[in-house]
Amino acid sequence: MIKLVKKDLKLFFGNKQDMLLTFALPIIFITLFSFVFGKMGNTDEDNLVGIVHVVAGTSVMMLLFSLAGIGESLLEEKQEGVLKKLLCSPLRSNHILYGKMVFANIISIAQLSIMFVYSWLVFGLDIMHHLPSLVLMIFVTAYACSSFGIFLASFAKSRKQVQALSTTIIMVMSGIGGSMIPIFIMPEIMQKIAVFSVNYWGIQGFYDIFWRLLPLTDITFLSRVVVLIGTGTLLNFIALLMFKKNILKIV
Amino acid sequence: MIDVSNLKKSFDTIDALKGISFNIPQGECYGLLGPNGAGKTTTISIMSTLIEPNEGEVSIAGYDLKKNPLECKKNIGVVTQEIALYNELSAYDNLLFWGGLYHIPKPELTARIDEIVNLLGLADRKNDKVKTYSGGMKRRINIASALLHRPKVLFMDEPTVGIDPQSRNLIFEVIEKLHNEGMTIVYTTHYMEEAERLCDRIGIIDNGEIIAQGTLDELKTSGSMKETVVISFTNLTDERFTKIANDWKDLQRFDDIIHFYSMNIQNDLSKMILKCNKVGLDIINIDIRKINLETIFLSLTGKQLRDK
Repeated sequence: MIKLVKKDLKLFFGNKQDMLLTFALPIIFITLFSFVFGKMGNTDEDNLVGIVHVVAGTSVMMLLFSLAGIGESLLEEKQEGVLKKLLCSPLRSNHILYGKMVFANIISIAQLSIMFVYSWLVFGLDIMHHLPSLVLMIFVTAYACSSFGIFLASFAKSRKQVQALSTTIIMVMSGIGGSMIPIFIMPEIMQKIAVFSVNYWGIQGFYDIFWRLLPLTDITFLSRVVVLIGTGTLLNFIALLMFKKNILKIV
Repeated sequence: MIDVSNLKKSFDTIDALKGISFNIPQGECYGLLGPNGAGKTTTISIMSTLIEPNEGEVSIAGYDLKKNPLECKKNIGVVTQEIALYNELSAYDNLLFWGGLYHIPKPELTARIDEIVNLLGLADRKNDKVKTYSGGMKRRINIASALLHRPKVLFMDEPTVGIDPQSRNLIFEVIEKLHNEGMTIVYTTHYMEEAERLCDRIGIIDNGEIIAQGTLDELKTSGSMKETVVISFTNLTDERFTKIANDWKDLQRFDDIIHFYSMNIQNDLSKMILKCNKVGLDIINIDIRKINLETIFLSLTGKQLRDK
């Protein structure tokens, strides 16, 4: 499995387009949105909320798009016959999926970390005072989002299907989950619907850290951690079942 | 080395394999010859553990495929029809990855990679990304990736589809070298000249059944196969043809050409020519069509191996 992860990392870091979409594009969006929303408030606190919203919302949404791309690569491997060859090797079939999951988690953690370090350096977001909570939230958000990317791929029959499916679902989830417009200014019904989105739990977790200033041990903060871990685990489990049913059907 | 017994496989309502059986001893190159959809790839897919049969037994290198798939996998190399490589990686990195899946220690693996890229004539390009390779070069690396763990059995599923003659010849030379070194090879193709050149024995598969198998000589003599002598004339008339046909029953006329059919062409050729001279026919061309896999396949199935 480690060999699969190393191979995926080599492919990823050798592809300038993937690097650009995963790291540069979110930074461009965060920079643009932060200059707009980070200076619209009347007070420093309002501006901070604006920046936290932009960084958290944009990071999670862009992360989901990157992960859908990783999910697509699974279908690409199937279409190009690579998966068939992997299955002829002594590798266990489940390890092919686990390898993708581990790779997706590594990229997710790297992407979120870079976004927050960038926000600290450019916009002064105080990540150092909240480092343990931030690290925990980055890990669990990355886990839930990675699982979501693999989950999407496991349902699809082709790469094009993942692309179409992921764009629609991610846009809807980002819309209702607060990646585009902050949840607290949405109508009450929308705030209730938002809980069905992965974005919501991640963004709320980052709000807890930087805006609500909740400590690591706070029950509200921890409940979001638990929901993200639970969602990720459930999606991984379904993905594993669907992987066997859909993707392993080679002939 | 390989025992296949009563193998059956259905996909929905289609019976892809209807109970095929064959044995391949160690060191033999066995050709599975048949048109598209005959069941070649299904057979290879079952033997390479990709799909499970509905019925039947397969044993590879002494291991039962159902009970011990992992040991079977360790003993086989599979060259798929598709070029299953990572285009964004170099040939060397691809081989390092595929070889690594078999837990070969790295120093040994790198030595084997160097050896195999030399053998396949790609040593100068091994560090280039596969996406810059021609189709034939990719096919060669695709084959190399199946050989790094030195399998006892090599399955090759139409490995020369769509490649240039130079690459094709190189691949043939590699297969012949592996064969001479004692590797057991199962080679599927619908190119008869490949099967004739490479395979010790050939199984002809059609509609999910092996309809004949044996060496090329055994296949030639197994049925009532006849060779054809095609003679062209300048002055063939109905009257002269009738005279010839009275003496030689097994023939056919096509305008100025007569096809004579014979079980023993060495004996009959001179008789045919004498008869033609006797009735005053002027011969302008003689073409001898010997029995080959194409004619055997046609006679067994009533159809061409490839669409023309």
